Amino acid sequence: MLLQLNNIFKWVQQGGQRVFLLKDVNLKVEEGEFISIMGPSGSGKSTLLNVIGMLDGFDEGEYNFLDESVHTLKEKHRSELYKQYIGFVFQAYHLIDELTVYENLEMPLLYKKVSGSERKAMVADMLDRFNIVGKKDLFPTQLSGGQQQLVGVARALITKPKLILADEPTGNLNSQQGEDIMELFKELNNEGVTIIQVTHSEKNAGYGSRIIHLLDGRKIEG
Amino acid sequence: MLKNYLKIGWRNLMKDKTFTFLNVLGLSLAFGVAILLAMAAFFDLSFDKFHEKGEHIYQVYYAEQTAKGSEATVTSPMPLAPSLREQVPGIARISRYDTQGHVTIYKEKELNLSSLYADQDFFEMFSFPVLKGNQQALLSEKNGVVLTERTAKKLFGEEEAVGKVIRLLVNGKEEPFTVSSVIENIPPQSTMTFELVLRFDNHPSYEAIKDNWGNRNHEVFAQLEKGVATADFEVATRAFTNQHFNNFIENAKRDGARPDAGGEYKQLHLLPFQDRRFANYSNGLAEVSRTYPYMILGIALLILFIACVNFINMGIAKSSQRLKEIGMRKTLGAQKKQLFFQFWSESLLVFLISVLIGVALSVLFLDSFKTLFRTAVSFEMVTTPLVIIGFLLVLLLITILVGGYPALILSRLGTIQSLKGKLEASGKNRVRDFLMILQFGIAIVLISGTLVLWSQLEFMRNKDLGFNKEQVLAFPIDGKKDSYEAVRLLREELKGNPSILGISGSDNNLGLGKDGSSYTSILGLEYKNRTIKTHMLVVDYDYVETLDLNLASGRSFSRQYSTDSLAVIINEKMAKELGEQDPLTARITMGDSTLYSVIGVMKDHHFQGLNREIAPLTLFIKPDWDLYYAYVKIAPTNMMATVDHIESAWSRIEPNATFLGSFLDENMDRTFRREKVMTTMISSGSLLAIALSCIGLFAISLLVVAERTKEIGVRKVVGASIGSITFMLTKDFLKLVLYAFLIAAPVAWWFMTKWLESYPYRIDLSIWFFIGAGILAVCIALLTVGAKTMKAAMQNPVKSLRTE
Repeated sequence: MLLQLNNIFKWVQQGGQRVFLLKDVNLKVEEGEFISIMGPSGSGKSTLLNVIGMLDGFDEGEYNFLDESVHTLKEKHRSELYKQYIGFVFQAYHLIDELTVYENLEMPLLYKKVSGSERKAMVADMLDRFNIVGKKDLFPTQLSGGQQQLVGVARALITKPKLILADEPTGNLNSQQGEDIMELFKELNNEGVTIIQVTHSEKNAGYGSRIIHLLDGRKIEG
Repeated sequence: MLKNYLKIGWRNLMKDKTFTFLNVLGLSLAFGVAILLAMAAFFDLSFDKFHEKGEHIYQVYYAEQTAKGSEATVTSPMPLAPSLREQVPGIARISRYDTQGHVTIYKEKELNLSSLYADQDFFEMFSFPVLKGNQQALLSEKNGVVLTERTAKKLFGEEEAVGKVIRLLVNGKEEPFTVSSVIENIPPQSTMTFELVLRFDNHPSYEAIKDNWGNRNHEVFAQLEKGVATADFEVATRAFTNQHFNNFIENAKRDGARPDAGGEYKQLHLLPFQDRRFANYSNGLAEVSRTYPYMILGIALLILFIACVNFINMGIAKSSQRLKEIGMRKTLGAQKKQLFFQFWSESLLVFLISVLIGVALSVLFLDSFKTLFRTAVSFEMVTTPLVIIGFLLVLLLITILVGGYPALILSRLGTIQSLKGKLEASGKNRVRDFLMILQFGIAIVLISGTLVLWSQLEFMRNKDLGFNKEQVLAFPIDGKKDSYEAVRLLREELKGNPSILGISGSDNNLGLGKDGSSYTSILGLEYKNRTIKTHMLVVDYDYVETLDLNLASGRSFSRQYSTDSLAVIINEKMAKELGEQDPLTARITMGDSTLYSVIGVMKDHHFQGLNREIAPLTLFIKPDWDLYYAYVKIAPTNMMATVDHIESAWSRIEPNATFLGSFLDENMDRTFRREKVMTTMISSGSLLAIALSCIGLFAISLLVVAERTKEIGVRKVVGASIGSITFMLTKDFLKLVLYAFLIAAPVAWWFMTKWLESYPYRIDLSIWFFIGAGILAVCIALLTVGAKTMKAAMQNPVKSLRTE
């Protein structure tokens, strides 16, 4: 088992009332799964993904990742944990505009304190694997959306995470580019990487092994 | 990692060049100016610190009780120093100190040199290292002379100075002196300046008054023995003072003076020598005030502060563009510490660049700074290890605080929040508002200070002083010839020239001439069993006419009356002192029993400038006392040609003397030097403060507009006009300026009132100075913010909404 959420609640206070973002969510994810989270706008998909990614906290419930109980960890520990095991892919790519492709890929390694020569080898590996060696000195703004997302995925993968969290990874792409990314995810999943993606598209959800539907912060099936 | 930080920092700086330019420009200017000002201040504070025994040396001064109250003076009678040494315990060394200008002759060279008369202890007390010649017992020979290196060079060029004989024109006679030693040049941080030193018993009036306790004409410096406190000295000298100044004390008692707290009418005090530059004797006791250098230091700090506030505000304003990056870095595992360090190192980069440019600027502008602010400061003087370490510490502190604050704010942002690119509206706006109020408050204080100072200066320059300052040229008579003879020759040379309206001479200048020397001579006299003090001036015929002084009654000196050598002209203040119904009947004595009759009363004129109140003045016409300045009144047309004519006439009379002529209004202007320097300093400070505040305000307006883009869009969609939106955005800034004004105006008012109090003739402190400064600040703020807010208000709402 990779991670387990037990009775997770998350709310905000609005005008003296609790507005629930997540309501009694239970989820168990095994290694090697490819899960799609679906639901209408505001149903809590992204919130759930952020909670799983430990970018966001929750107000009630338990969260176990591997053998650690996340809800009891300090921030520093938590960041150690997700730095090691989780990679993120965003709808808006979130590449750093001031850094080149090469430097963007290198950044997670810097935070993991990987040595210089190793960094070089790992970045070169990734560039090779995604066929973007020729683009390594370009800045994100000089790339197409599809290429940017490719870099985004490469960056998520470079630390060899067990889990990839993708928040509508194809949302800003045209259908061909989207398909390419989804094929890539499929391939990664086959190599053993666990993937959880948020998506609006039934077609994209079809790539996954399991679909979770959310409505008003509640899990309704799957 | 650091490389990565600096790389991204650098690229961010380069991305928005205007912003970076403004930021670096502001900081470098502030650093440059602050370095220069701080140097000037430290230079000022370092005066007289170079004497090794300086901490044990004191200046002797007197507190005297008279019928008019307490008075303090530093001049002593000649027997004082020797008697003190013999009769009062605790004095290790003591020296008299008086400088006089003497024509010094070596071969065909004739130079007017400032000669110091001092006792043998002088070189034991003060640190003036000997370069050549006798090292130990300087001034042991009566006819020996000690030269500074510069003087030796002036007189002998490259020749060996020690052993040479020079001749000095003392009391009209050439006296030979042998050079015994050459000392190093006097450091610029010395209040004592002289070009050569003679033993005190060579003083021109030594033989006449060496045992006279009533005639005072020099200063005295004493070094106390270890363990002796100044209070011990003050107590120990009481009996001594009562014995030797018995005459004065009796007179004081008779005139109704009241004794001081210790029951004394005359008390000797000691002023630490290192306070000499900062001492003021006008209130009956020496008051030491280092306000001026500290004020300069304060302005430097204020400017630095304003620039730092800018840096903070601009850093935060800029951060909204870095939010995505912050969020992304956090998702990639960056910790707060690492983010803080990243942004802090970026600040460090900007600071480093700015400090380097600032230092370069200060080096570049040092020379103009020195002329503008009349300081002799140089980098070598202030770059002591202590100052450098202090400078680095201050720099480090500023970088930590100023660079650290925005870094701290940024590193604390929540991950999700920053990924969404939203800044949390939190308490930090309050910090920002507070800083901006402070910034504008400082600017308003400085602006109103500039306005007040400038008005006072103009007031003093334009006030009618009671004499003709525009048309009268004055210059020192400093040649070998007898001064009366020189004036007579001048009259002859210039006779028949229609542009010359009058020629005269006197023993003192009005204002400060090009020779830069000034002195006062005060005469105490007994009149009808009262002691009266009057300034005295020895003049030549035509003095009253040449200077256009107005007579209230009586007549001026005239060659037709042979008795005029026993006549005086007094001013109205003096007439009041005499207290006669008809002052023209009064006869006064001067030390001896000779009676001088008052033949004229002139209207009061500001003979000491406007920094002092008009004092009693008596004009004598005594050909056996030298004149030191010649006055020529010239016609207002073609004045430059006339001046040239006078100069060539003077060079025929005194071929070896340099002509240092200047008009009296220039001389008066020179007495306002302090005010002028202060006005330039404060006005340039306020200019910089305003410019820097505007840079900061501009940056904040960028931020606010960016933050409220959506709100502006929504408002426009529902029908708000451009005008109302501009007003809405501008209002908040104006409120800050208004608060700043409310805080700053009373502060400025208090400072300006205090400052103006030191002027007997001053402008009224009208409220309009402050309102004017406030309006100016508001206008500048409006201009700065207006353009940006207008642009925001005019933008297409669809565009601003789409950015959400």
